[in-house]
Amino acid sequence: MADKEKRRSGAAPLGMPDGKATKSDNDREFLSQAGVGELLRGAILKMVEARSDDPIGFLADHFCNLASVTEPGTAGCGDADQMNNGPQSAGAQEQQHLNRALWHLRLAHHSQGSAFSNNVRVAYDLLNSTGPRRRSGEVPEGPDGCCTDSQTEVGGGVRGGLYTQTLQCLCSEGGVPASTSAPLLRRLHCQDHEAVPYDVFRHGVLTCAVFSDYIRQAQRLYAEVCCPDEGPASQALGLAVLGTLKEALETSQGSEANCCVNANTKSNSCLEVNVKAMRYLEASAKISPYKLGQAMAVAPTRGPGGNMDAKEFENAAAELFITRVKVLS
Amino acid sequence: MNRFSSAVPDDEYLADSKVLFYVSDAVSQLLEHKEEYTHFGVIRYFAEYFSSVKNSNHVLFREYSYIRATPHNRASFLRVLWRCYRQIGKSGDLLSMLEYRSLLQLLCPDFPLEPVQNAARIVLMDDAIDCLMSFSDFLFAFQLQFYYQEFVHSVLVIYQDLLAGKSPNTVIVPTSTSIEQLPSVTPEESGKEQQQDGVEPSTLAQCIEAFCDRFKHSHPPRSCMTEVLEQTNRISYYSFLMSLAKHEAINQAIGALPSKAEFLIDPEMDQELDKLIAQISVSPGSNSSGSAVGGLKEVLQRKASPRRNIHHRRKIEVESDGSTEETDSSEN
Repeated sequence: MADKEKRRSGAAPLGMPDGKATKSDNDREFLSQAGVGELLRGAILKMVEARSDDPIGFLADHFCNLASVTEPGTAGCGDADQMNNGPQSAGAQEQQHLNRALWHLRLAHHSQGSAFSNNVRVAYDLLNSTGPRRRSGEVPEGPDGCCTDSQTEVGGGVRGGLYTQTLQCLCSEGGVPASTSAPLLRRLHCQDHEAVPYDVFRHGVLTCAVFSDYIRQAQRLYAEVCCPDEGPASQALGLAVLGTLKEALETSQGSEANCCVNANTKSNSCLEVNVKAMRYLEASAKISPYKLGQAMAVAPTRGPGGNMDAKEFENAAAELFITRVKVLS
Repeated sequence: MNRFSSAVPDDEYLADSKVLFYVSDAVSQLLEHKEEYTHFGVIRYFAEYFSSVKNSNHVLFREYSYIRATPHNRASFLRVLWRCYRQIGKSGDLLSMLEYRSLLQLLCPDFPLEPVQNAARIVLMDDAIDCLMSFSDFLFAFQLQFYYQEFVHSVLVIYQDLLAGKSPNTVIVPTSTSIEQLPSVTPEESGKEQQQDGVEPSTLAQCIEAFCDRFKHSHPPRSCMTEVLEQTNRISYYSFLMSLAKHEAINQAIGALPSKAEFLIDPEMDQELDKLIAQISVSPGSNSSGSAVGGLKEVLQRKASPRRNIHHRRKIEVESDGSTEETDSSEN
């Protein structure tokens, strides 16, 4: 892109008077000095990678985010990254890094394998660099507790508190009510003082992303099956649907790996299972109307009485998912 | 969902997104006003540029070639136009073609006469072009003319070819039968003069259909055109365009203007106006008899992106210190 711009402005001087030529040279110099080419190339690459449905909106967000990162406070521009000795409090800086990390995580859907992985890595490194004591290149204060990681991190790992906060934000941004995501977060929780290694971070992030999708599917399923407009669905019906959902979950997991919680499980395989489960779920939410219909037909005759509202259904569906989440520790 | 269909190659995705056009314009603008923007931060500049494109504020006070450059720009301009001058519609004022052009030039200084003329022809059915028009009639006709300008122009060529009895040059009509029946000389319709130089809708429909298959610009939804053409047994160019201009589904497809029923409703702007009027009545020194247009422009400027405001300030500075600035370095 920069090349294109340069060519564009560089093409002019040939037949032009001298004044024009110098102006064009100035332009070129200005663009390269300001790093415009790099800036635009980076933005467009990100955009193409993310394949956003709203490219202009994507670029707007991209530059706004960059701007808020590079110029803290209201005024000034440029090298704010080096300004960590400034008046800015550590808390504000941490918040800024968190926002930036979340923004990176939002860029690509988790089904977009490599793009998503890259973004997780970037987010991790960002969060890892938070905290002034770790930036200055000192040896980190030792791996507190659980995490001795084979690939040693420069910053020693993301702090547990920050990690938990990231997951919370991911879930709430994904449209999952706090009450629904709370059990999952408890399960993935790390202590505030822990240093979270990359594998654990990635696992947590991916799980939350998949979970948000899953809950949305479940909400849609409830709406589809139970006609919420006509008041809450009968409990029997809800249970029947949940039963089908559970079966689908079990099929998908049974086929891939066993579900034991094992500290040494290769995290990768377990991530794959998660993603696979998601795929199966998407399918099961759609493809087995016959099975669903069957279950629903039987349900009213023998299920328990009473009603089940959307929230109860959501919680039950969430529980099905959460019990199948592995804990890496 | 788009993101999952990675079947579309990257360059095609890029081309569809029109992003490179905006990037290149952003760089041109940056170079044109580099002193003020470097003070400001280049990243912040790009952030504001793209935010204003996203919010459709970017076309305000820009040159004609820019506002017509992409469908998004065209739609944004239509929206701005509606928002600025809705009060005219509300007060029921009728204006002439030239007056509408003046209004357009307040938003886009080099707005040419021709599209305004063409819009007036649609409203007035190519008759007595100096007549006064209501704002909504004009705006919907202008929308069709401005948003689908390439299409509207091509249809005129097709129509004239049909009238002249030759096969439209850009269209290959599969059978000669439709051409043999060509109109203008058929005496059976001796009604109004207007009707006489119409063509047979089915022939026109056929030609347009074939034309749309190869047309690379946007055109109104085919179903709407078919619908319009099925309604009569004789249609003239302007009556065809008039029906399209009034077609609600086409208005929705463009997505810039509200439906005709909600044309005059914009609570957010009303609030702003009320505030403005309150301000004016508080300060007696101000020119309270000022035109509605001036007031609206003021509101709009406040709502426009900060980038624009800077731009303006800059212009004023330039004018005041008398320095002449070359601005054409980055054009072409």
